Amino acid sequence: MPFLDYKGTQLEVDEDGFITEPSLWNEDLAKFIAETQEDIKELTPDHWKVINYLNNYYKQFGIAPMIRKVTKETGFDLKYIYELFPSGPAKGACKIAGLPKPTGCV
Amino acid sequence: MSQRLTQFKEIASLSSEPIAKITADDLPPLPGIAQPPIPAPRQRWLDTYDFSLDGFSDFEIPAPKTDEDKRRLVEGFFRGLEKLFDPENNWTFVKAFRLSIDYCVRCQTCSDACHTYVGSGYQEIYRPTFRSEILRRIYQRYYTTSGKLLPAFYGADIEVNFKTVWRLLELAYRCNLCRRCVMMCPVGVDNALIAREIRKLFSQELGIAPVELLKKGTRQHLQTGSTTGMRPNAMKALVADMEDQIEEKIGRRIEIPVDKKGADILLIHNAGEFLAWPENPAAFAILFDAAGINWTLSSEMLGYDGVNYGVWFDDVELARVALRHLQIAKDLGVKKVVVGECGHAHKAMMVIADRVFPGELSTNALPRESCLPLLYQIAKSGKLKFDPTRNNFPITLHDSCNVVRLMGIVKPQREIIKLICAQPVREMAPHGVHNYCCGGGSGFAIMNSLNFAEWRKNVSSRMKVQQILAAFNDVLDPSINKYVIAACSNCKGTIRDAQAHYGLWDQHHIHYGGLVDLMVNAMAELPKPYLEWPE
Repeated sequence: MPFLDYKGTQLEVDEDGFITEPSLWNEDLAKFIAETQEDIKELTPDHWKVINYLNNYYKQFGIAPMIRKVTKETGFDLKYIYELFPSGPAKGACKIAGLPKPTGCV
Repeated sequence: MSQRLTQFKEIASLSSEPIAKITADDLPPLPGIAQPPIPAPRQRWLDTYDFSLDGFSDFEIPAPKTDEDKRRLVEGFFRGLEKLFDPENNWTFVKAFRLSIDYCVRCQTCSDACHTYVGSGYQEIYRPTFRSEILRRIYQRYYTTSGKLLPAFYGADIEVNFKTVWRLLELAYRCNLCRRCVMMCPVGVDNALIAREIRKLFSQELGIAPVELLKKGTRQHLQTGSTTGMRPNAMKALVADMEDQIEEKIGRRIEIPVDKKGADILLIHNAGEFLAWPENPAAFAILFDAAGINWTLSSEMLGYDGVNYGVWFDDVELARVALRHLQIAKDLGVKKVVVGECGHAHKAMMVIADRVFPGELSTNALPRESCLPLLYQIAKSGKLKFDPTRNNFPITLHDSCNVVRLMGIVKPQREIIKLICAQPVREMAPHGVHNYCCGGGSGFAIMNSLNFAEWRKNVSSRMKVQQILAAFNDVLDPSINKYVIAACSNCKGTIRDAQAHYGLWDQHHIHYGGLVDLMVNAMAELPKPYLEWPE
């Protein structure tokens, strides 16, 4: 497994850059992943709206929400979500929100 | 030209160079499709992991470096091999396994039956017999008197070192376990079972299995209730979302029954459907409701996720999951279990679990069935009015191997199509029990670590893509929407990835989806189309 050098500690991520231990996630780490992994320099309030929704849903249910749910709850359409997270909701936004890579037959 | 191996001995090469090289030029061309380049593995991966079979791997496990690690791997392999041949340790499959090892006459009739061998441009290492022959020779060399005394004479010439072991592990994951070769074999040798038993050796003896199948697969299934990580509260929330969604689409609200004691039918889906293709379980709910069926879903852990990945690689994991499924059905007091559109769940719950659990959990005492005959009954019952003109576009049917070849369910899905579609099904060649696997069977659909997905999309899915293009040969024009029916989650996932890889929607407007989705789309009472085409 590769590691990210985060504030002097080694943080384990998988080969696609998802953190392997979701409990380590915090807002500062989100900023760090956004900048180093996704090339997003600044997280705006709209970014946070998506990130917090994803993170809370994951904490409550153990899975990522369906995209339909994300667009409904945030009020953002898919096109705008792609503008916020150019590599997409699953690969970009979920990674920054500290979710593990999706598993199972999805 | 593909590389020809003259000797099986190359499997033991200590070099980290792949013994077979897959290049885009070797692959059979797909008419009208520009072959995407196959990217080389990242340098960091090459430095860390083992790609010495064919340049592909799903295993994010560092290759053994120290002599001690290498020795432990080889010793574990031998221990596991002995157990495969031992009736006490392998009571589930030893008979079929042993017969397949002993009776292959090496005629190679099976080779051309294999979509991976043909789809790779005839790479020797992908012959259905290749890995079996290696295992057979290893067994002869180390466990038979003749092989010990005269290894070269008896062809028992393969040395077991850590590279042999590692390449054999990779080789076990180059077969979709579709068992098309078994049907073509004149003596009934099951080379797919041999591949599966090699996987079992690695999982049960060494704890080595693809992360998607074991750690994030069966273990997560048992710990959270689903391989997706979906817990019961999530399942209930998703059902509520689905009810809202159904109301939006069909203009009336239906209640989806959950944990209804004494229902006639417990319907178990692949939980991936709830997340990736929610319109599929929603379509089941609409149909069952309209047909007046007394049914229920379960919100018990595992009761809402009918997958059983152990069927691909591990008997213990298989039994743990199957036991929970059957126990949940028994506790609910249902008359029977019906398995949704998931091929390997058909195999696990109906065919293999019956072999593993006799008595009160046997199929006789606790019936379980495929959804397809029931859907046919609904379609022909006259209770629902179907308007086939609502499905007036070219369709082809992809058969799931576990449904057609393993279980012989071929006709119901075709009879349903006649009742709900305006155009006759464009059968693939070959189809039915002779079908080709989608290329995602036995876990490949969800194995996406390192560069394994590249192998699936370019090699194991290739013949399926060729078949789909051929079926729509005269209607490829993108102004005509086309639909591949695939009544299996993993087949759908594989076709979805192939669709993106080869631009099947962008270039040709070829889409895919389940069978129930089309049935609901044809329901005359619905105010608007149920099916949604990509944008």
